[in-house]
Amino acid sequence: MEVSRIRALRGPNLWSKHTAIEAVVTCAGAEADLDQIPEFVTRLRARFPDVKPLRPFGHKEPISVAHALEAVGLGLQAAAGCPVAFGRTIVTPETGVFQIVFQYTEEPVGRLAMDLAEALCLAALNDEPFDIKLALSKLRELDEDVRLGPSTGSIVDAARARGVPIRRLTEGSLVQFGWGSKQRRIQAAETSNTSAIAEAIAQDKDLTKMLLEAAGVPVPTGFVVSDEAQAWEMANKVGLPVVVKPRDGNQGKGVAVNIETREQLAKAFAVASDISSDVIVEQYIPGHDFRMLVIGNKLIAAARRDPPNVIGDGVHSIAQLVDHVNLDPLRGDGHATALTKIRFDDIAIATLSNQGLTAQSIPEKGKRILLRNNANLSTGGSATDVTDEVHPELAARIVTAAQMVGLDIAGVDLVAETVSKPMEEQRAGIVEINAAPGLRMHLSPSFGKARPVGEAIVSTMFAEGDNARIPVVAVTGTNGKTTTVRLTAHLLRTSGKRVGMTNSDGVYIEQRCIDTGDCSGPRSARNVLMHPDVDAAVLETARGGILREGLAFDQCDVAIVTNIGIGDHLGMNFINTTDGIALVKRVIVQNVAPHGSAVLNASDPMVVGMGDVCSGSVILFSRDKQLPVLNTHKAQGKRVVFVDGESIVCSEAGQEHRIALKAIPLTRNGTITFQTENAMASIAAAWALGLDWSIIEMGLATFVNDAQTAPGRFNVFDYRGATVIADYGHNPDAILALIQAIETIPANKRMVVISGAGDRRDEDIIQQTEILGESFDQAILYQDQCQRGREDGEVLALLQLGLKNASRTKEIVEIRGEFTAIDTALAKLQPGHLCLILVDQVQEALDHLAKRIAEA
Amino acid sequence: MSQPYLTIRRLVHLKGPNIWTYRPILEAWIDVGELARLPPQAIKDTYARLTAALPTLLTPGGGIEASKGFAKQFENGVWAPAVVEHVTLVLQQLAGMPGGFGETRATDTPDLYKVVVRAWHETVTLQALESAIALISSAVKGSVPPVEPIINTLHTLRIKHCLGPSTACIVDAADDRDIPAIRLSAGNLLQLGYGINQRRIWTAETDNTGAIAETISRDKDLTKSLLQACGVPVPQGQAVNNAAQAWEVAQEIGLPVVIKPSDGNHGRGVFTNLSTHAEILAAYPLAEQEGSGVLVERFIVGFEHRLLVVGGKLIAAARGQHACITGDGKQSIRKLIASQLNADPQRGREEDLPLNYIKLDSAVELEIARQGFSWESIPALEQTVVIQRNGNVAIDCTEAVHPDIAETVCTAARIVGLDIAGIDLVVQDISKPLIAQQGAIVEVNAGPGLLMHLKPAIGQARQVGRNIVDYTFPAGDMARVPVVGITGTYGKSMVGKLLYHLLGLHGWNTGLSSTDGLFVQKRKLHTGNSANHENARRVLLNREVQAVVLENGAKQILSEGLTYERCEVGIITNIDWAQDLSEYKIYSPLERSGVYRTQMDVILPSGMAILLADDPQLLALSQYCDGQTTLFSKSASTPALIEHIAAGQRGVFMDHGQLIMAQGARRYNLCNVSAIACTEQAQNHQQICNVLAAAAAAWALGVSMELIEAGLLGFDPDTALPS
Repeated sequence: MEVSRIRALRGPNLWSKHTAIEAVVTCAGAEADLDQIPEFVTRLRARFPDVKPLRPFGHKEPISVAHALEAVGLGLQAAAGCPVAFGRTIVTPETGVFQIVFQYTEEPVGRLAMDLAEALCLAALNDEPFDIKLALSKLRELDEDVRLGPSTGSIVDAARARGVPIRRLTEGSLVQFGWGSKQRRIQAAETSNTSAIAEAIAQDKDLTKMLLEAAGVPVPTGFVVSDEAQAWEMANKVGLPVVVKPRDGNQGKGVAVNIETREQLAKAFAVASDISSDVIVEQYIPGHDFRMLVIGNKLIAAARRDPPNVIGDGVHSIAQLVDHVNLDPLRGDGHATALTKIRFDDIAIATLSNQGLTAQSIPEKGKRILLRNNANLSTGGSATDVTDEVHPELAARIVTAAQMVGLDIAGVDLVAETVSKPMEEQRAGIVEINAAPGLRMHLSPSFGKARPVGEAIVSTMFAEGDNARIPVVAVTGTNGKTTTVRLTAHLLRTSGKRVGMTNSDGVYIEQRCIDTGDCSGPRSARNVLMHPDVDAAVLETARGGILREGLAFDQCDVAIVTNIGIGDHLGMNFINTTDGIALVKRVIVQNVAPHGSAVLNASDPMVVGMGDVCSGSVILFSRDKQLPVLNTHKAQGKRVVFVDGESIVCSEAGQEHRIALKAIPLTRNGTITFQTENAMASIAAAWALGLDWSIIEMGLATFVNDAQTAPGRFNVFDYRGATVIADYGHNPDAILALIQAIETIPANKRMVVISGAGDRRDEDIIQQTEILGESFDQAILYQDQCQRGREDGEVLALLQLGLKNASRTKEIVEIRGEFTAIDTALAKLQPGHLCLILVDQVQEALDHLAKRIAEA
Repeated sequence: MSQPYLTIRRLVHLKGPNIWTYRPILEAWIDVGELARLPPQAIKDTYARLTAALPTLLTPGGGIEASKGFAKQFENGVWAPAVVEHVTLVLQQLAGMPGGFGETRATDTPDLYKVVVRAWHETVTLQALESAIALISSAVKGSVPPVEPIINTLHTLRIKHCLGPSTACIVDAADDRDIPAIRLSAGNLLQLGYGINQRRIWTAETDNTGAIAETISRDKDLTKSLLQACGVPVPQGQAVNNAAQAWEVAQEIGLPVVIKPSDGNHGRGVFTNLSTHAEILAAYPLAEQEGSGVLVERFIVGFEHRLLVVGGKLIAAARGQHACITGDGKQSIRKLIASQLNADPQRGREEDLPLNYIKLDSAVELEIARQGFSWESIPALEQTVVIQRNGNVAIDCTEAVHPDIAETVCTAARIVGLDIAGIDLVVQDISKPLIAQQGAIVEVNAGPGLLMHLKPAIGQARQVGRNIVDYTFPAGDMARVPVVGITGTYGKSMVGKLLYHLLGLHGWNTGLSSTDGLFVQKRKLHTGNSANHENARRVLLNREVQAVVLENGAKQILSEGLTYERCEVGIITNIDWAQDLSEYKIYSPLERSGVYRTQMDVILPSGMAILLADDPQLLALSQYCDGQTTLFSKSASTPALIEHIAAGQRGVFMDHGQLIMAQGARRYNLCNVSAIACTEQAQNHQQICNVLAAAAAAWALGVSMELIEAGLLGFDPDTALPS
């Protein structure tokens, strides 16, 4: 068994909508049929009993080690507590080679599960030991490490539930909600609305108290002191007992309460002054600790926090009682459980000694022994939900406190006898206000009802029904993608939106190019969706990226598939047929939002078929208005776009809107047929997005398509009275489309300049010249710079082969070097001639061509 | 026998507008004792000694009005208190504060004077005053001690207590727009505006500055990756864990490189233009000390720049320069740094100087070592040695910034999510597009310092405080809530109570600080006399308050000043010209009216003075009001009232028992005054006047006649205030 090419599919992909690990598994001999090694499954189960049954009942197809690997990869994660369910093993056309895919929730955990699954299967194959406990604890640990904490997690889940797209920006808790200009961010329980100043105020307890006092919110009287003597003086001034705490501190560090003697004060002062040079001495308010959670201008949750304690039984020592309490399975080590184990450390011992006790003391039956003075969950305290008990007057005071500090999300620490009476009717005070409060005690209180705080936070960030999405158009197909992307983006721009666009030339934000090269993959798409200045995105979505990583978005509003045709890039990733290509490109159609649309080329049967998997609506387009599939769709009252005479017609339920082809310069009055198709696809997309017809028409009229704006896309030049057309088209479909367009241009002699990309299959290279041989009088074949693994002359020979039976091409020239080929062609041109140059190094070739034309 | 020298008998800190001026001042009651009777020669000597010690005393202007030239003060017999005033102001000026207001006035007690000086900060000004007294005393005695240490002490106090230059420029800009500023902490936290309309600013952060954005900006690696994803040019680089890896990464990226802490600031631990293994090994540990991680980045050739973005716009830009020395073939580098760089008056340790003092630290040592020098090396004549490559961004270049760069830095601020950002950018020529020059953004800073724009070492200063205020408050927004100030001898509390009631009915969360207590939003926040600065301030700080009613008695004005610097409505209920204010040494009618005038001085141009029409002397104060005036009187036949209404102004009065509100020819008849409970069937003269004044104030604030009438009829003085 050999595992290769492990990939993380980070978005919707060929197999599912889930994030998943994909790998190629090569099985040798019997490994491909476990019936031949029955002991394998037994050994596997001995090592990992939880693995799911490998073969469905009654099925006879061979099951391989790859199947086992997939089942183990998934099963290990499930056993470690990850919510995963999807897994599949796919038989490839190559003998003994399988593709496996299984879901993950956290990529590093998925990858580790892959490694561990491989080790486990190898151990089963070789009958070696495997430490499953260790493996699972490693996975659990990693999962706890990388997944979002409970506070952030609850907000993310709430956002996801209302359809907000989520993206983690760091390994920590910084998360992007939504896309482009509508994005917001959260970090733990902070949002983009959380003010840095408010946070700084909350950090300064003295200032916080001054502001609360100004607003009439009860706070304990206190003073800032800088030495112990002063601390004692102030303690007596506010009245004993007092609380001593550092002025700048958090999480209850260095806080000592109920200080009554000079000795206690000295100790407490020393601890607090280690944390902050300024120490606060304030009135001690006896009572319970409450944590009140304010979100926006509402009190959302309240919890009473009790310090860790044990109840005596008259038999056991305090140390034994603590051990006993810690046996409770509800008490975990980290933040994952509702309770944490009581920490029996120096602070606990000191707390006991303040009560005149030691770890060995045996408290009488029923006596409650405190092990700490603060109630933090992380040191063993408990939280009891009291939200429903809160008196409205008290709630109003808590909200005022949060507002005075200016926090949108605040954890207000209250000391009071009860929350069911107004603060003014009891001895109560607010002792602290926390920015980015922990939510765990409200999400999973030790006792009482859980509160939907994530939902409350999300609803302060977004208005009702707002899911922070921007319109996303995904475009795929074999030919015409780039022009369709550019035109669709232009139409959106005309409607006043700032458009982010990716295509095989680069990434564009408004008119600015921010990246160059082939940017039709998910990374570029993600970058566009992260850019704060983007109101709408048009993303060329190439096959490679879908296979490599999946989609960059969970959903799109419009998916355009221009065509599949004879196909391109066959022979990679086990995809040898155009059906296979169609399956990959179909992924964008599968992920159209329910309110969205797929725009499909009706003339291409492979594309039309994709409509079946679209959960939104389908718009069909075709130049041929007679096409039965188009007519059926039209007769059903659904949207279709077609050409009728001199117009493009958009029809829905008997209503028609016509756009004259002559008003679309891109199509050259409809003579460039493939541009007419591109225009139809873009019009359909704009229509699907609800753009006004007047805006669509204005956009079509103003769209410029030349060598500057669209290098290598049917760029037409005049050279000494001859017509020169440069295009990047490098596959049979593109070439067919080009010929169709060129045939409408009159010429008394036709010449073509072509090379072949080395990474294409032999038959595809041959096919190109086979097609060209029927339409051109002369062919200049050249070998391009990069032979992509081919021998010198190999590609030229294939091109020659395609021309062997050419009906029209009589003259053939072989050249080495693209510039020489262009120069050779130009030298041969006479007025009235036409020359199609299929450029390879697009920018360089176009620059060279422009130079020659300028010289002419 | 009286004291031989100057003695402070009493000190009053007036925190707001007062009988002397609009600004906070320190009023010292000074007993000049025997100095009043000093022989002429002794005065002459004192003058000579003082002017010798403090020559700036003679500089015309110098913050002191020319008419009060220093020498002139010695001409009359009471020179001493005036000189205290003068010397205090000069000392404040020398310590870096503006000069400002000063005044000296005699009292009815012989040898006792009130000396008033602008208080930039209570502690600092008091120190200046005490130092001035000490200086004068020693000048009289014979020898004046060196002034330098006194100035230094004051200087240190100023740096400790007064606002930093960045924040001060924001306060000044707010002041120019009549937006009130309240300092909330000993630090630079400010409240701009009042109540519900307030905003907060903390140095160059506003309450719109996001905590998350600030966190992102502090993480240089994250900032870079976000910028890069959005196509903003950043230097290629990566975090490293040890010196060996730093060298490895440096070779991958391509030399030269920069090594810096991943989260440090102020250019500490940043080493640029490193090209050798040795340099990188030397720089790594120094960078590591300054932060929690170390970054290796491509070294971008060019100048450091700081660009300030405020609310999505580029506001100012400054360029850096290398700090260099030029050898003379004699002195060591150590000495040349002192004489050529650190001696520059623009360079120093304080935050209000544009250039940093150069510390002879390891970074400089490394820099000169690269050029083959040590501290004691003596560079040849005319030989230039670079001492510091960064930290000297102080040359204004705002006008030169290419629009493409301006757009890029604004995008960078948006990506991080900061409303105000200082963007560090390295590029050869700021007037050309970034990409062609391979320039890059190296850092995005939250709460950027503004000094390099306010006080550039070279080039034009930029009014960035104004930009920040204009961004925070739309044009015309003064961030205020309606403030009603009530003064007068009698009836203030009742007028306040009535207004609190009426404005509450109008739907405003109203705050009231009066002798009855402190009330906000139907709650009593403080029991007992609350007509004082402390409680009035609480109302203005309260973010839920939509309207403010503040009672200011004469004694409060004299002992604390007003709490607000401008108000919408100012009321003088009446003036008892016989009221005993001897405690404040206020006796004459002029002095008395001066006290009440304070309330008139602060009425906004859009505001309203509300005055009793029956007292011509009181009425005369209306001339000090910038806004309109409403007169009230129990009698419809009061001449001043009739005249005022006829002139198209407002009047509120009683006519045949009925409450009338009139303006020009318009006349609104409201209820019968006797139907209003507190007037005790309209027999109580003072209560009727109180009702009239309150109705006038409510009218001025836009409360409808209908609601005023209904509110007055429903008013119960016993239950109007929450208990």
